[in-house]
Amino acid sequence: MSQAFESQSFNLNVNGVDYPVNVEMDRNLLSVIRTEIGLTGTKEGCDDCECGACMVLLDGQPVNSCSYLAVQAQGRAITTIEGVMTGDEMHPLQRNILEEGGVQCGFCTPGMILSAHALLERNAAPSEEEVRIGLSGNLCRCTGYTKIVAAVQRTAVELRS
Amino acid sequence: MTPSATAQATTRRFVRADGPDKVTGSGRYTADLSLTGTLVAKFRYAQVSHARITKLDVSAARAMPGVFAVITDADVPDVRFGPMVQDRRLFARDVVRFEGEIVAAVAAVDAETAQRAVDAIVVEYSPLPIVNDVESALSPDSPLVHEDWADYGAPGVMVRNRNDASYASIAKGDVDKALAEADFVVRSHYESDGCHAAPIEPRAVVAQWEGNKVTIWTSTQVPFDARAGVCETLELPSSRVRIIVPHLGGGFGGKCGFHYEAHVAALARIAKRPVKLVFSRREEFLAPDKRREGIVYDFETGVKADGTIIARKARLVIDNGAYTADAGFFSQLAAMHALGPYKIPNVLSEAHLAYTNHQPSGSVRAPTAPQTCWALESHTDEVANKLGMDPVAFRKLNAVDSNVEGPSGQTYGEIGVQQCIDAATAAAGYGKPLADDEAIGVAIGWWPSFASASGAYIKIDGDGSGQIITGAQECGTGAVMTLRQLAADELGMQPEDFELVYQDTSAAPYDMGATGSQTLFNNGRAVIAAAGQIADQLRELAANKLEAAAADIVLADGMAHVAGSPDRGVAIAKLAATAANGELLIGHGSGPPPPAAKAVGNTCVGDIGMTAWRAPQFSCHAVRVRLDRETGVVRVLRVSTAHDSGTIINHTGAQGQVEGGVMMGIGQALTEGTKYDDQARQRNAALLEYKLQTCADAPPIDVQFVEIYTPDAGPRGAKSLAEAPNVATAAAIGNAIAKLVGSPVRRLPMTAERVWETINAGNAS
Repeated sequence: MSQAFESQSFNLNVNGVDYPVNVEMDRNLLSVIRTEIGLTGTKEGCDDCECGACMVLLDGQPVNSCSYLAVQAQGRAITTIEGVMTGDEMHPLQRNILEEGGVQCGFCTPGMILSAHALLERNAAPSEEEVRIGLSGNLCRCTGYTKIVAAVQRTAVELRS
Repeated sequence: MTPSATAQATTRRFVRADGPDKVTGSGRYTADLSLTGTLVAKFRYAQVSHARITKLDVSAARAMPGVFAVITDADVPDVRFGPMVQDRRLFARDVVRFEGEIVAAVAAVDAETAQRAVDAIVVEYSPLPIVNDVESALSPDSPLVHEDWADYGAPGVMVRNRNDASYASIAKGDVDKALAEADFVVRSHYESDGCHAAPIEPRAVVAQWEGNKVTIWTSTQVPFDARAGVCETLELPSSRVRIIVPHLGGGFGGKCGFHYEAHVAALARIAKRPVKLVFSRREEFLAPDKRREGIVYDFETGVKADGTIIARKARLVIDNGAYTADAGFFSQLAAMHALGPYKIPNVLSEAHLAYTNHQPSGSVRAPTAPQTCWALESHTDEVANKLGMDPVAFRKLNAVDSNVEGPSGQTYGEIGVQQCIDAATAAAGYGKPLADDEAIGVAIGWWPSFASASGAYIKIDGDGSGQIITGAQECGTGAVMTLRQLAADELGMQPEDFELVYQDTSAAPYDMGATGSQTLFNNGRAVIAAAGQIADQLRELAANKLEAAAADIVLADGMAHVAGSPDRGVAIAKLAATAANGELLIGHGSGPPPPAAKAVGNTCVGDIGMTAWRAPQFSCHAVRVRLDRETGVVRVLRVSTAHDSGTIINHTGAQGQVEGGVMMGIGQALTEGTKYDDQARQRNAALLEYKLQTCADAPPIDVQFVEIYTPDAGPRGAKSLAEAPNVATAAAIGNAIAKLVGSPVRRLPMTAERVWETINAGNAS
């Protein structure tokens, strides 16, 4: 029988908005983002840190939110896929992954975009190999990755110019 | 022969209509849905592989606060079901036959309560002997997986005997005589492990009753099939069951068939609340009756000294698992793949589908094909080596060709297998010098197109925009997205002019679903027919307005104009506005499927129509690999492909299918295989132990299409595509490894450990 953990009230800053939450200490960030805050773009694929579908950014760093306690994310800036757009304007990564044909079923796409986002933040001109290594924490079963890599490289060029 | 109207469609850059939902995170998948008062469903699984249930007591679980329903076999209609062999029930009755079999289901206020209730269910078992491998399953003294197998309903044509759920054979000529006359006979034995579809989205189902009708949102590839399963097992008419599929996070066959929709609906009916089931990754590995089947293969091929194949015997034993699911056609399909796309005058190909106490097998992307292609093409290289012939030259000599009889007695029309071999090997640089420890392996594969009834409606509103309302299901391939292009081209409009309404059994006519690569092949025909009706209406309206004959009206670029007089025209939007006040613009289409193909001159046992293939697809993959001889680790450096899938309608989507299929093939080749313990339980039911290929593993992939307009096929001479690219990759990798090692690795996946063992087989002492 599982141990009941105490609840705690705190704020989570998601996509620039403070959300007050009251959740058990053992709740993972993924379930709080999806069910308490109501942002379902972040996906659960394995609950085991293996697939990357649940990836979010914490202060710009990619984290598998399935294996990160919500309470640990207090005071940090959390970015989900819903926070990548600027107003109604897609981020170039979103536009390019779409135009290159890097989206099929779309379930890995939010995590993939956030990984790529973090990669381009720390390396504005990644080689193809650096892109491939940078995205290797995000499993995609549909595309064979080719068009996703092309989209990230195209975005890097666009953002530099 | 290619109609000129296709030019625009085939060259257009394609951005999918559901894409913005998916890249922004606003798209809803089944697990993202919530309804007020929704309960959480959890299953109690057998956890043992073969046992008689001696006690099943759910009273403690039912009494727990927060638990709204606990159901077992006693709470659902007495129905045994199965698409071919009716060998399964929703819940185990008396006997459990694999570890992931469902014994009971719970609906409770939250996941923790549901899990406590599952744990409070008392089940006691008396062990039964476990059938853990396919060869022993077929021995006359094997324990039976199904004591009552003979009483099960099944099509009369199926040949069943004890643990053999389906025996099929294809025979032509006199194979024994031909083998006796052959200059060389080569015999090979191979084995392949089972593996998984592993879509990134785990399965989810939400069910809600209103009155006596139930609406089920589910992550299925086949909504109409899912509806039929619910109707059959819960004894409901289809008018009381509505299946809606939100965005679907991949399937690869794993989400075909009818799965947990009825369990969740039954829970929701008893609980009188909406109920939601979301699978964990571990459940994804253990429970579904869809995983790629392991097979054991024996080949015997006779050739003349000039390299001509004159005879082949093949015997395959396929792991059916504990229930037949949709695998009833696998034996005949595998028997075809054991022959391959080769001209062989004398054949005997036999396959058995053996019950075991493993997870049931079912259609995963090109069922039976990649692994049988791997075994056959490894054998083919062994035959070429025996002759001292180059394996590519050997294939060129023996592969089927246009208007030449294939191994099952079917003669194909114009096909591109020879061009595929040339294109793939040229792109790979086959025959050019390579670095040390590198080699290029080559394999050819084939796969049918499946014809099926399929329907769609189209309507055009007064503002000139329209909806395509289709029974077709999108699993990620983009096939449904491409339907907009077909409608737009028929009507001289733009794809963006159309909204797609799909994945709702109560809104649209029947379609078989995202299965058998059939969506564009069949629903494309339906959409074109529906658009054609509207085109006729528009031509009549324009003819009246322009004082011309309807037959002379051309629809192009948003205008209806008189042929040869582009200036004499009227905007389609204007005609639509006129129609909105009169006879509405509504089209419906299905149209008869293309005629069935025929094979002649062969003798088949257990013939379920799989020996003749409508619009067969052909492929050649040439793969360059590097081997680390110290560790047995194989790195795939480049995959060069060529496919004959007929006319390609959507190049962006088609390339994506090839790239994804190749990547899945690399996984099957090197890392993906289920391991069983001695109790027939999976040992690697997690992504940490069952390794999918990552972005860093992925090689460059050359994609080439040999586009041949194919009559009596899909729209505009298209064949199917989605499964075919998965067929030949593992085989080509195997042949490259065999070149480097000096002999083939005889078990799939060819893990580093197995490669190392093959390298060092001679050094054991």
